[in-house]
Amino acid sequence: MADSGRLALIHAEIDGELDGRQRAELARALLADPEIQVLREDLQRVCAALDVLEDVDPPQQLRQSVLDALPQSTPSRARSWWSAPRLRYAALIAGVLAVGTVLYETVESPRPATSDLAGTMAAAGAATTLDTVQLSSEVVSGRVSLYRDRAGLGLKFELVASAAVDVLVASEGRTVRVNGLGVRDAPGVPRTTVALPGFGRSGEAVEVTFLMAGREVGRATLRLPKDR
Amino acid sequence: MTEDDDATLVRRCREGDRTAFEQLVVRYQKPVFNAALRLLRDPEDARDVAQTTFLKVYEHIGDYNPSFKFYSWIYRIAINESLNALGARKPCEGFNGEEADAAPGPERQLEGQQTGRAIEEALMRIKPELRTVIVLRHFMHLSYQDMGDILLLPEKTVKSRLYSARQLLRDRLLQGGVI
Repeated sequence: MADSGRLALIHAEIDGELDGRQRAELARALLADPEIQVLREDLQRVCAALDVLEDVDPPQQLRQSVLDALPQSTPSRARSWWSAPRLRYAALIAGVLAVGTVLYETVESPRPATSDLAGTMAAAGAATTLDTVQLSSEVVSGRVSLYRDRAGLGLKFELVASAAVDVLVASEGRTVRVNGLGVRDAPGVPRTTVALPGFGRSGEAVEVTFLMAGREVGRATLRLPKDR
Repeated sequence: MTEDDDATLVRRCREGDRTAFEQLVVRYQKPVFNAALRLLRDPEDARDVAQTTFLKVYEHIGDYNPSFKFYSWIYRIAINESLNALGARKPCEGFNGEEADAAPGPERQLEGQQTGRAIEEALMRIKPELRTVIVLRHFMHLSYQDMGDILLLPEKTVKSRLYSARQLLRDRLLQGGVI
């Protein structure tokens, strides 16, 4: 039976939350224990099946029935939670702490090693681009490219978004989730590459869903060449 | 035309602008309805929950603290209303009285449809608090942090519930030969 630490690694992998060290730890566990492999594949299938269940359109009359049921009076005015003195002081203290933290992070904090940042990210060197989709909506724009390199398939995101974008990647019953793309922390278009281990064995398409605050804001289908 | 963000719509709504509230309804009716539907598995109940959720939003929008995300607030109301509706059901009324047929009819012979149905049924057989985390994560695609904000739980508890829920679903689906 898998121990809770290994189970947590499998779930974290499904949720796109593994860092480089954890990924290596999971890889070792998978090699050492076939039971873990089976469990991981089962859980991946469960999550892939959950993720492809489609949303249902709400009843057409829902909006009108809500509007018809509204009271005639104006909604309650905002209560002045800010006016409570204790809250003002608490907010002031929190603000000072936040500024201190930012200053410390900027001036004193050591930069993480590249390996710590690896996680699901992968080097896209010597890669062949297989397909590219341009995105242009009000909230997310740029492009996503499917590539293949020595390590296998991967996706390269060059996105600019009005807020952090989470991405769900699905193909052949496998899913990968990557959080927090599209946020500018330096001049230019933020670029992120994501390795897709195990993808591309039999499928012909990789479905990418872009989410912002839990709402779908875009979707792209990247296709693998048939004669690969 | 640029779509107003939630904060702008909420501010306009507080000033008595009904069209702003209508835009919030349009924006959130689908996720709110779907969250309720996945928790209750009954379209009529889900519609009622969605309607109650929006009316409560309108009624209490003055209490909403704009330093928190609006969607966390509205989803919290929707989840609580759904759980209240579940609690009001009779004990045997878990899910619309439907069981998986031994011989699927022609309308659901597609494997994907059967799998979807089996998953919905398996979901209805796990505890509501576990079902809720599955709904928030896999259908509403929310982060652990957002889930914690909505459920008023620490992230650690959210993860623990999510992991348990997935493993229970896996066991149920294995038993049913679905995966």
